[in-house]
Amino acid sequence: MDPVTIDTTKIRMTKRKPETALEKLEDTNLINTLLAAKDREGFILLTTIDQAMNWGRLSSLWPVTSGLACCAIEMMAVSMAHHDIARFGMEVFRASPRQADLMFVAGTVTKRMAPRVKQLYEMMSEPKWVISVGSCANTGGPYHESYCVLKGVDNIIPVDVYIPGCPPRPEAWLYGIIQLREKIKNEGYGAKWGLNK
Amino acid sequence: MNSAEELKYLLPNSVVSVGVQTNKPQAVIRKEDFLKVAEKVKELGYDNLSVITGVDRVDRIEVIYNLFSYKKKQNLALKVVLDHRSPEVDSVTSIWKVADWLERETYDLVGVKFNGHPDLKRILLPEGWIGHPLRKDYDMNTEQFVTIGEDGEDIVSPDGSNLLRRK
Repeated sequence: MDPVTIDTTKIRMTKRKPETALEKLEDTNLINTLLAAKDREGFILLTTIDQAMNWGRLSSLWPVTSGLACCAIEMMAVSMAHHDIARFGMEVFRASPRQADLMFVAGTVTKRMAPRVKQLYEMMSEPKWVISVGSCANTGGPYHESYCVLKGVDNIIPVDVYIPGCPPRPEAWLYGIIQLREKIKNEGYGAKWGLNK
Repeated sequence: MNSAEELKYLLPNSVVSVGVQTNKPQAVIRKEDFLKVAEKVKELGYDNLSVITGVDRVDRIEVIYNLFSYKKKQNLALKVVLDHRSPEVDSVTSIWKVADWLERETYDLVGVKFNGHPDLKRILLPEGWIGHPLRKDYDMNTEQFVTIGEDGEDIVSPDGSNLLRRK
């Protein structure tokens, strides 16, 4: 038998970087897991971890009980039966920031209140979101030229959704809440790969 | 004869002028005699001091005391005109107890010094704030920030690096 000589330079790595969403899915070996489950006639809920976690997060956003000025009166109106944010799973206003994951900055952020608002935000556990409500919290509003009012709460804490108005109508609050839900739905790696559609 | 004219009749040397402002009788008082006049006004039945206002008129500072008598159902406003450089007037806390906080507010925002006040310090702004904000010559260009100290006290500084987000 003739000795076989193998030219190693002819061999190329055929594995290439996955590009499309389907290739990425195959790359994770998820297909084999699914097929194995199908052979055992098991039931499968096909989802990604991101999708499931985002669904859980956006369906039970608990706001922290804090209001700074007249926008907080509208916050009460939003939480009452007529406008009813309980349908978003948000009716549980937590008295402790440790248990909350959403903060409405509702009202004028004065210079003296600003470090307290920042402390409240830092006390909240991750993941956490902030909705800035009303002209005062967005930019300073009518107090923009004042000596004692912060020119927008986004100077001290990151803000996800801004709701304009002075104060905003409850319908505007609901629209802002829906925008935040859309944002949470598209968080994580799944959304980047296009798997969360 | 309204209440200001009555006061002018009783104390002609202390009352500089009388008039009517927003339907309320007003008397301008010499600042040296203000405590004496205030005692007399209390005797006349003006038992409620509603509010103390300070106004910066650039060349002078005016302090207006808005009084009301529950017995007579009448208003009276007393006004003193003070020097802009060092505005000082006698405190009326010994006559109306409510003047304590009202005078502290006027001191805080306009910078009027009330002689004989038991505890004259800032009431709205934190201690250490530079300037009196309702003065016309207040410096709006330097922004001041408040942070919380270790014991929960307010610390005022123009440096907001502990408070503001890093961008």
